[in-house]
Amino acid sequence: MFLALREIRKEKLRSGLIVAMIVLISYLIFILTSLALGLARQNTDALNSWGTQTVTLNGSANVDMRQSLITKKQAGKLTGDEAYIGQASVVAKAQGHENTSAVFIGLQSNQFVAKKIKLTSGHRPQSDKQLVADTSFQDAGYKLGSKVRLSSDSGKFTIVGFTKNAKMNIAPVVYGRLGAWLDLKDLMPGPIASAVVSRKAGARSQQSSALKTYSRATFINKMPGYSAQNMTFELMIGFLMIISLIVIAVFLYILTMQKLPNYAVLRAQGIPSRVLVGATISQSLILVVAGLIIGTELTALTAVAMPAAVPMAFDVPQLAAVAAGLVLMGLIGSLIPVGAVLRVDPVSVIGG
Amino acid sequence: MPALALKNVNQVFGTGTARVQVLHDVNFAVEPGTLSLIVGPSGSGKSTFLSIAGGLLTPTSGSVWLDGVSYHDRTKKQRDQLRLQSIGFVLQAYHLLPYLNVDDQFKLVDHVKPKGNLDAKQLGELLDELGIADLRKKFPGELSGGQQQRVAIARALYPDPSVILADEPTAALDSARVEVVGALFQALAHARGKAVVVVTHDVRLEKFADQIFAIEDGVLHQVNK
Repeated sequence: MFLALREIRKEKLRSGLIVAMIVLISYLIFILTSLALGLARQNTDALNSWGTQTVTLNGSANVDMRQSLITKKQAGKLTGDEAYIGQASVVAKAQGHENTSAVFIGLQSNQFVAKKIKLTSGHRPQSDKQLVADTSFQDAGYKLGSKVRLSSDSGKFTIVGFTKNAKMNIAPVVYGRLGAWLDLKDLMPGPIASAVVSRKAGARSQQSSALKTYSRATFINKMPGYSAQNMTFELMIGFLMIISLIVIAVFLYILTMQKLPNYAVLRAQGIPSRVLVGATISQSLILVVAGLIIGTELTALTAVAMPAAVPMAFDVPQLAAVAAGLVLMGLIGSLIPVGAVLRVDPVSVIGG
Repeated sequence: MPALALKNVNQVFGTGTARVQVLHDVNFAVEPGTLSLIVGPSGSGKSTFLSIAGGLLTPTSGSVWLDGVSYHDRTKKQRDQLRLQSIGFVLQAYHLLPYLNVDDQFKLVDHVKPKGNLDAKQLGELLDELGIADLRKKFPGELSGGQQQRVAIARALYPDPSVILADEPTAALDSARVEVVGALFQALAHARGKAVVVVTHDVRLEKFADQIFAIEDGVLHQVNK
């Protein structure tokens, strides 16, 4: 630590450059991680808020709730832990507002999902023409009592409440009654909902063989674009981790190579290898941690300045795990020059 | 008891047709308070002699004794420890750590060997004696070659070793500076009681030595002054 701190203090520019690299890399990784989490949550926020463990859909719907229709006969009798969900893609139109693509979720008011929705203002729908909307509608200027059309011939709906974090498939959710969903879908008699969700894990006991029950994780992973989007982010973050490892390793390797003649003299004088190895590793850790601290501060500033429309979510345990990953990369990166330090031959300094 | 002794030391490098015997049955002893000079041309085995005397190299056969303790048969770690305690190296290239100022060069030794080093007063006196007392906050890059050499000597003396091994300390110096360095090594031996061994091809140092050894083709023998 003594050698590492002294070197960093003396070689401010060189150390500053390495720290700057770590800052940029960590900042980019933090922002990408937050963006990935934010986008992921915009797919699943609504589902998560219901506390759902399984989703039962029509077997031919390709695990897509929008494509699924189920009848009462197929669904069988629902328990108190189950609820009907009617999903429809809609475009919210209102005078003085831009058209907004949204997801309509029809609920039965006496079932657990409808009871679980937490309102930030207003009340739950009391008729088929009332809606509870995601707060992003509020941010866009909608108020309690605002009238909105969800399709050309379904008539006007009134927003009677707002709820936070109601997003599905990266679109804001408007909650209404199951009857309204039937109107919006303009269906022939028969279907009663898109899905049956349950807050208990495991297969349903009574249902038609035409239906299939999926775990929450399977349902989420099959959401259109969800897995591809997450994998893209994971790949980018993974590559950035590897890049950070290479940057740290290359910088430290070059710095260490320049110091080998000095290290050979120290070895000749009896300074143990562990002191020199410790200096190399601690130097790497100090620089990486310094870069991470600045990168975290920059990320926090960005989070404050970021417009609400940008889907970023900051999860401290997840960011801490990413930071720990970067520290680990720094540690691995520092082990490469350590090999050269251990191979220093003090005899090389004898004879000029 | 000699501070440093080599007994029947042979050193062979390579095998078969590449086999080279660099040292032949070398016997050498240096008492505390004396300055010994090892002189010889390039390729005579001086560096190998110094490497074995300093415990950097294990001899093919023979033994090395440091303050009466066998040294050649110790583990690498034990030899590191013994070297740190008992041997001060002054090398041709001073190689002071560029990011440590003069004071920190000594603090580094404190970090690995907290006890038995010169105390603050003794270090102050040593730096005064070497004429570098006002350079304690300077970095090696801010020092002249001569100043760096004196810092390197002070660093070698700081752990208070019984033996000083110097490798070509006057290689790049003019005659005036050779006089200063020669007198300095003589003072280290006579005034401080160190066993000083200087390996050199510089005959200008002979007048400072208490005993002179010549080495040629790996054979060491004492010569009359």
